[in-house]
Amino acid sequence: MILQRVFALTLLAACAALAVMAWPYQAAFSYEPVGPRAFPLLMLGLMGAGLLYLAIRPTAIVRKDDEPELDRDTLRKVGLCVLLLLVFASTFESLGFIVSSILIGVPMARLYGGRWLPSVMIISLMSIGLYWLFDRVMEVPLPLGLLTVLEN
Amino acid sequence: MDTLGYLGQGFGVALSPYNLVTALCGTLIGTVVGLLPGLGPINGVALLIPIAFALGLPPESALILLAAVYLGCEYGGRISSILLNIPGEASTVMTTLDGYPMARKGLAGVALSLSAWSSFIGALIATCGMVLFAPLLAKWAIAFGPAEYFVLMVFAIVCLGGMAGDKPLKTFIAALIGLFLSGVGIDANSGVYRFTGDSVHLADGIQFVVLVLGLFSISEILLLLEKTHHGHQAVKATGRMMFNLKEAASVFVVNIRCGVLGFIMGVLPGAGATLASAVAYMTEKRMAGASGTFGQGDKRGLAAPETAIGASCCGALVPMLTLGVPGSGTTAVMIGALTLYNITPGPLLFQQQPDIVWGLIASLFIANVMLLILNIPMVRIFTRILSIPNWTLVPVIAIITAIGVYAVHATTFDLFLMIAIGIFGYILRKLDFPLSPLLLGFILGGLMEQNLRRALSISNGGLEILWSSPISLTVWALTIVMLTLPVVRIWRKRSLQRRALADV
Repeated sequence: MILQRVFALTLLAACAALAVMAWPYQAAFSYEPVGPRAFPLLMLGLMGAGLLYLAIRPTAIVRKDDEPELDRDTLRKVGLCVLLLLVFASTFESLGFIVSSILIGVPMARLYGGRWLPSVMIISLMSIGLYWLFDRVMEVPLPLGLLTVLEN
Repeated sequence: MDTLGYLGQGFGVALSPYNLVTALCGTLIGTVVGLLPGLGPINGVALLIPIAFALGLPPESALILLAAVYLGCEYGGRISSILLNIPGEASTVMTTLDGYPMARKGLAGVALSLSAWSSFIGALIATCGMVLFAPLLAKWAIAFGPAEYFVLMVFAIVCLGGMAGDKPLKTFIAALIGLFLSGVGIDANSGVYRFTGDSVHLADGIQFVVLVLGLFSISEILLLLEKTHHGHQAVKATGRMMFNLKEAASVFVVNIRCGVLGFIMGVLPGAGATLASAVAYMTEKRMAGASGTFGQGDKRGLAAPETAIGASCCGALVPMLTLGVPGSGTTAVMIGALTLYNITPGPLLFQQQPDIVWGLIASLFIANVMLLILNIPMVRIFTRILSIPNWTLVPVIAIITAIGVYAVHATTFDLFLMIAIGIFGYILRKLDFPLSPLLLGFILGGLMEQNLRRALSISNGGLEILWSSPISLTVWALTIVMLTLPVVRIWRKRSLQRRALADV
């Protein structure tokens, strides 16, 4: 309940900030009665009203049977996983696809309960295989990064 | 008779060897994706958009591929619900009720082939419905001006809230978030940059693929962290694989009834397969009465939801193709794919590009036949996929998702944006917000704003144009009905509770 209130109020604050941001949006010269400002403001207004109602009267969260309560341990794991994804995004171009996906794939596999040796083997094979499949066969260009040296 | 000629032409397109191979690949990929935990048709179709684009497939083949993946995913979800008692997605929850008990009785193979057969009949009925009604609807849709379109989209979004039942408020908020997000980027009419924060990367808006993969793949990866299972042990599919004539005959009436029902539910915007399967199951259970063994492996209990799902999947394509208004999350993704190919779904599509429309309809037919045939020899291989543990699956999903996003613009900004959207989606899911309305809002947002502005330009700013034609008045009336429905339902529930309290 409290979480939901906090979430609704945070989003409400974001709505207000975005509305302030949208206020100066005006076409330099216009040939239509509705400018670029009206629609986003309308949406933000409606969203704000809904969120306000939600903050005052939060609805019960229905959990599925197999969904455990969030505990500190899971939250730590979620945080780690997000961190890994961020590392992936930031090294994607500089280190290249193969290196960066091995770099984050192995710890991620560990996070989901894999053992070291099989994780390293499978993830390495997968990243090379996926690179070959996408870059070479399907012609989706992927950065090679560090491994450019090996080309030619 | 024109229609039949076009349909023949469509089969000509779909039966070309190239497109047949495309459909076969699509059904296979779709089945595998549908099998994997946490990946449903939305992810499957979304992941394939950049790939289909990169492969340089012609539009009709790309569309056929996506439709085949869509049907394949629905089919894959069914395998895990029958053999594992774990529904791959929301729509197959009803399948587990009788499918899993059947598998436990040693009829796993029969259950699988019977469900494929049911879904085939459902799709067949829906395709016939489509052939009959879609051109009619398309003709009628020409009477839709900008004002009518705007009202129709309001209706589609309200429908979602009304149908979602227990949490209308959260559904509306989710849809509004999507509608708002669609406005990010340069405004097409005036050239004003909106909410870009002076970033070049946001100038042409949030990429559709980034949003979908963030919302559905990344948030799913985070959700999977909570469940620490290491692969599943499926019920072995042994013995007879094929259902016999007697079994097929015993569910035939159910098939027909649920097929029609599913088609109608599929056409309604926002209703979709989940609701169709639930209503079909409940109706059949009530009709069978005491003679049924529903919940303990009744064949009718398996056939009913499966037929309805098959029919509603095809039915959902009707509003998408004729009006350009998607009926479900997956069709919303398909609209996104179409716009990548510069094809605008809507009434004119039937006149301008009949080969695409009818090729798609014909390929739905073919994909269904393929699934039916594939089912028998492949089931053992498919069940083996179910035992892949999460620790290999999740990194691979993460990596492929990143490739899909990177393929669109080749910037890492999109990767960061996707992660941010994924975290937001995870929080929304934890707080019990439904995500497909957000997606639908995002798709409809641009169209909605354009149509509203166009309508108001016609009337020179007068709002009365929004309720001046009989069509828009009818749609407004339906919208009001849909809006009051959940309120009435909640009110009735409360008064029932109060009465129960008073009795005590």
